[in-house]
Amino acid sequence: MLSYIIRRVLQSVLVLLIVGLVAFAMFTFMGDPIDNMLGQERTQEDVDRLRARLGLDQPFVVQYVKFILSALQGNFGVSYEQGRPVAQILAERAPATLELALVSGVFALGAGIVLGVFTAIRRNGFMAQMVMTISLVGVSLPTFLIGILLIYLFSVELDWLPSFGRGEVVDLGGWTTGFLTTSGLRALILPAITLGLYQMTLIMRLVRSQMLEVLRQDYVRFARARGLPERAVLFRHALKNTMVPVITVAGLQLGSIIAFAIITETVFQWPGVGLLFINAIQFVDIPVMAAYLMLISVMFVGINLLVDLLYVAIDPRLRT
Amino acid sequence: MFKLFASTALTLCLAGAASAETFKWAGTTDPQTMDPHAVNSAPVLGFLNNVYEGLVRRGKDMAVEPALATSWEPIGVGEGWRFNLRKGVKFHDGADFTAEDVLFSYQRASSEASDTRSWFAPVADVKVVDDYTVDILTSAPNPIFPDSIANWMMMDKGWAEANSTALPDKENGNYATLNANGTGAFMLKDRQPGLTTTLAPFDGWWDEAEHNITEAVFTPIDNPATAVAALLSGDVDMINPVPIQDAARVDERDGTKVIRGIEARVIMLGFGQDRDELKYTAMAGQPNPFKDARVREAVAKAINVDAILKTIMRGSAEPASQLVSPAMRGFSDALAARPAYDVAGAKALLAEAGYGDGFSFGLKCPNNRYLNDEAVCQAVTGMLAQVGIKAELDAMPVQNYWPELRADNFDMYLLGWSPGTFDHEHPVRFLVTTPNPEKKLGSWNFGGFSNARVDELLPMVQSEIDDGKRQAMMDEITSIYQSEHAYVPMYVQPLVWGAQDNIELTQRPDNFFILRWVTVN
Repeated sequence: MLSYIIRRVLQSVLVLLIVGLVAFAMFTFMGDPIDNMLGQERTQEDVDRLRARLGLDQPFVVQYVKFILSALQGNFGVSYEQGRPVAQILAERAPATLELALVSGVFALGAGIVLGVFTAIRRNGFMAQMVMTISLVGVSLPTFLIGILLIYLFSVELDWLPSFGRGEVVDLGGWTTGFLTTSGLRALILPAITLGLYQMTLIMRLVRSQMLEVLRQDYVRFARARGLPERAVLFRHALKNTMVPVITVAGLQLGSIIAFAIITETVFQWPGVGLLFINAIQFVDIPVMAAYLMLISVMFVGINLLVDLLYVAIDPRLRT
Repeated sequence: MFKLFASTALTLCLAGAASAETFKWAGTTDPQTMDPHAVNSAPVLGFLNNVYEGLVRRGKDMAVEPALATSWEPIGVGEGWRFNLRKGVKFHDGADFTAEDVLFSYQRASSEASDTRSWFAPVADVKVVDDYTVDILTSAPNPIFPDSIANWMMMDKGWAEANSTALPDKENGNYATLNANGTGAFMLKDRQPGLTTTLAPFDGWWDEAEHNITEAVFTPIDNPATAVAALLSGDVDMINPVPIQDAARVDERDGTKVIRGIEARVIMLGFGQDRDELKYTAMAGQPNPFKDARVREAVAKAINVDAILKTIMRGSAEPASQLVSPAMRGFSDALAARPAYDVAGAKALLAEAGYGDGFSFGLKCPNNRYLNDEAVCQAVTGMLAQVGIKAELDAMPVQNYWPELRADNFDMYLLGWSPGTFDHEHPVRFLVTTPNPEKKLGSWNFGGFSNARVDELLPMVQSEIDDGKRQAMMDEITSIYQSEHAYVPMYVQPLVWGAQDNIELTQRPDNFFILRWVTVN
């Protein structure tokens, strides 16, 4: 058991190190941050001096090792663009992304389950067919387009919701929240739908197919035979048994909601870490890009590790 | 239910409209820093022009006018300039503005750590004569010095020293990166890098306020579609820029308008002309045709600038004949004609130069630096094909583009140039003189154009006090680079801003957005 866990943790660390190495190898193709940092009137001498000071004249492996060594001491460097510690910038931006991910996760799960059950029990109904068809559109349209469409409909044409940003936020000692103001809540609606739409469709389809399968099971038939009310059969007995795979998928999807927030955040100018990353790419802000990529991979690797360890806890065969 | 929702939405909108003097605007780039001496870039200097001020400033027509100096006069014969400072000027924190602050701002802005250092290359010394008089001595006569310092902003010595920010620190940041204390019409109220920056009017400003803003909020919006939507939905009052393809839509919609103008930036083609061989396509290693001025002239004649402006720029831009636009100082009125579009003439020139059968070469182009830059390069490629020369286009993001140009990896390239001093001398110094790192000349002359007479004339232009003589020399330089076809200037880039109908503002050709000229009706 212990050796299994140790092996798993070591493998995860190795994956993280390789991700970082690949990232740093790619940074060398991203262009040169120097031109963004120096003005039009810079001389070659200025360019060389700054490059040496930032360590950009060294091979990427050396840059990478330096990054890892200082990251281990909790130092992610200083942003080229803002001239502030990267850790501080990430901490400022994280609440926006996490709140958005949370709301769209709740939306995806809630709407996904309700619609999934609905389409399963009315599988031949007109509305259910409509929902299924529309959901197909939802899956096949890119996030970018859905966001722009929603903005044009609800902000530009109807003027109901704000077209960009987070609205007013309240600072709760280092954590800025949009949950406490009307404008903050209104600002959440469109980006949360845009970000959660894909996951919602996924969960809906999963719930639907699980429901259809469960409803064919003997115990459902027996429950009906016992004369239980239909509501109890559907929600107490059937739905409960469809939830196991749904929860697993939803948990794994939470990571991708945070990671894929990049596009939604760009469309809505949502001030989270994804937007920060896009800006960093444009500026070739290597410390910010590196820290963001490492953070996201730590998150993914962490979730996978957790799932692996949970399997061990559940499945005794893995313990030997 | 719908009614309830709609009426709630309406109420919320009205609540938003009640504070109409709060002016919100959006641009693509967030100013990197609030330190006026750290970075020499248009987004930073443009933004900080609202907060800090220089000895002189530029008016609505770009002319230099008194700001923190009420007047200035030359000292002796080209020894320098004496500036008489305005009395009673206060910084935002209440401190008085005096000659000590000018000296301090000179030391800070010309320090090793500052990007604005190059502005002070002609300065030999700065002397405080008394509290309200400063002498700036130049190492050679410098007639345009007062014109070149409109963006040199004054910082309070006491404030900077009290906050240990006596020198700018671009890499690690310091107090002045996030805070500001100028003398300008607006004070920095709140700064959240990359998110929002809030300004409030400064009650103690020395000049009469023209604006009626009580608060101004800037948000960077990178995505052009989002910015346009924000303007159309009324979430912001002004955006810069409006993508050219969206301009008509913004203009036609009730409630919003487009403000068009001409920027100071000239878009041109450059050639690798200091080397013997081509670098790209199947012709790599063959003799370089662009060494021959006739071939460069053929390129100039082959390009139908009017067609580019009509289709790609949708009529917003103006053709260019020189490296600066007509509004700039030193523009040669006598040489304002562009080579006419002439396919037959271009072919004849190519035949004369021995390239009647055409040739192929590599054209490098950025795809996110200038308005529709890649589309322009594609059009250029098509037009050159009509005269029988085949360009292989390689377009890339600007962060990869400059390193390519620096590494000499091109046969032909696209470049835009905006003269920081609004003077013709600026592009000549950077683009036309023979590259010379020691003298800091020709640092953007990637193609290596070289002409002894231009190199000889430039220092004379720089130190000529007499305007007529100076213009005569400028005309000579212009005629040299025009007849040599050192570059092919194509057009002056347009400015396309969008605003709500109730906003009145002034668009300046340097693309600086000056808040003190904004009125919300």
